[in-house]
Amino acid sequence: MSHNEKNSRWREEYTFLGVALALAALAGLGGWLIAAARHSHGTPPDRPRELAAFTLTDRTGRTVTRAELAGKYLVVNFVFTGCSISCLDVNRRMAEIQALTAGQPDVMLVSLTVDPRSDTPAVLAEFGSRFGADTNRWLLLTGDKSALYSLIENSFIPRNPADPYNFMPGGFAHTERIAVVDARGRLRVFYDGMKPETSQAVVEAINQWRAQGDSL
Amino acid sequence: MKKTVPLLILTLSLLAGCKPTAPAPVATSDAASSAVRTYEARGIVRQIAPDRREATIQHQAIPGFMSAMTMDFTLIDTNDLQNISRGDEIAFKLCVTETNSWIESVRLVAHVVESVTNGVFVFHAPSSELKPGDLLPDFTLTAEDGRPIRFSDYRGRVLAFTFFFTRCPLPDFCPRMDLNFAEARALLRAATPATNSWQFLSISFDPEHDLPDTLTNYAAYYRQQDADRWLFSVADTNTLARLAPLLDLMITREDNTISHNLRTVVLDPEGRIARQFDGNRWTPRELADAMQSAARPGTNAPAP
Repeated sequence: MSHNEKNSRWREEYTFLGVALALAALAGLGGWLIAAARHSHGTPPDRPRELAAFTLTDRTGRTVTRAELAGKYLVVNFVFTGCSISCLDVNRRMAEIQALTAGQPDVMLVSLTVDPRSDTPAVLAEFGSRFGADTNRWLLLTGDKSALYSLIENSFIPRNPADPYNFMPGGFAHTERIAVVDARGRLRVFYDGMKPETSQAVVEAINQWRAQGDSL
Repeated sequence: MKKTVPLLILTLSLLAGCKPTAPAPVATSDAASSAVRTYEARGIVRQIAPDRREATIQHQAIPGFMSAMTMDFTLIDTNDLQNISRGDEIAFKLCVTETNSWIESVRLVAHVVESVTNGVFVFHAPSSELKPGDLLPDFTLTAEDGRPIRFSDYRGRVLAFTFFFTRCPLPDFCPRMDLNFAEARALLRAATPATNSWQFLSISFDPEHDLPDTLTNYAAYYRQQDADRWLFSVADTNTLARLAPLLDLMITREDNTISHNLRTVVLDPEGRIARQFDGNRWTPRELADAMQSAARPGTNAPAP
């Protein structure tokens, strides 16, 4: 074996190793990027939370209870129809999710008002039609203020103790989030309703849980 | 619903002073150790000692004294915490001498938590939310000509007031309110028998932008050069912080605008809430009718 040959062989092996390492690194990075894109903006709830029993009224005036939503994946947001900026964005996201989950009868969308004195069923009906909310798939719920606030506080988001002077009724924190509840009624994850990638992330999360039989 | 809420300086000015009485914050020139400085403050009660002589309060910044924090305060009069429980929002007066500090004049702003059962919070609507028949506490506003006005200035008349801001971009929101006021005013003028004792008041919740000149220009459009019994005014942030919860009015500043709901209120000649119109689905006729019935003695009994 000439010196030259040996050198070239060494170079070959080295190159091969280098390429393999680079490929592995790329694959790893790619996988991480995909995972990050899917999951990085999901936030788990602050504590285990389940959908509590409730009796509220939808925009058609119909009474809706917790029992009606049993076994459904729920995509939930928090609205007030007087909102002029951020919650409009969040509702556009809800509309996208409604479109993306068309033909999936086990997925329902729910909007809870934090301003029930303003947001009567008639007002919510008009608001819902602005976003093309399907009466059968996207419930816009109003009702007694204490019932609504108890449901939101117990099942979804805490009030913000650092900001008791927020004029938002109830003083709830991060109401721009979209919550996703699994088929067993457990609150699983929040997504930022202001971000466009949230619609896809919600759908993928539900698909994943469904594929896992929702048993985790 | 972003959290871009401005810092509200919640100094209350209506409460009785500490003894010796002094406007807050004022250092008396007296060199004696009895010199008491007083500060108006507001916060959430986090803990009350069993003997009710100490309370842990998460308070808002106390201008000129300390920033927002959670700390223990001493009470001299244990009756000060009567009807106050953990979780309640209170307004209070902080009294400070060179060697001592305590709080007094504790006033309930809102019950936050009614009860806690197995870690589940049970809320009720804030106790401060007014209902028909309730007396509206008095507040000072700034009129379009810059002079201070008070709700109590209109005692003896039926007063209809609503909230708006001049930069309001949505035609079915603030402009709808003011157009409805214009029409209701026309209806009342034409009413027979005449109802003389009435007044309209539009209140801006945008004190940084809606200065008197801005208000007058805005008012000119809706009033059609006729200012008869319709005044425009602006509420400052301190006033809004106390007034808004009473009326379930919400105001959230976000980006360059304000998200808000709509509240229109009719006060009877005694200053009691006769009728509240929520949202924008009421008509000028309904408002005019409500004002007429509130003006008639004997018909302004509290609604159930």
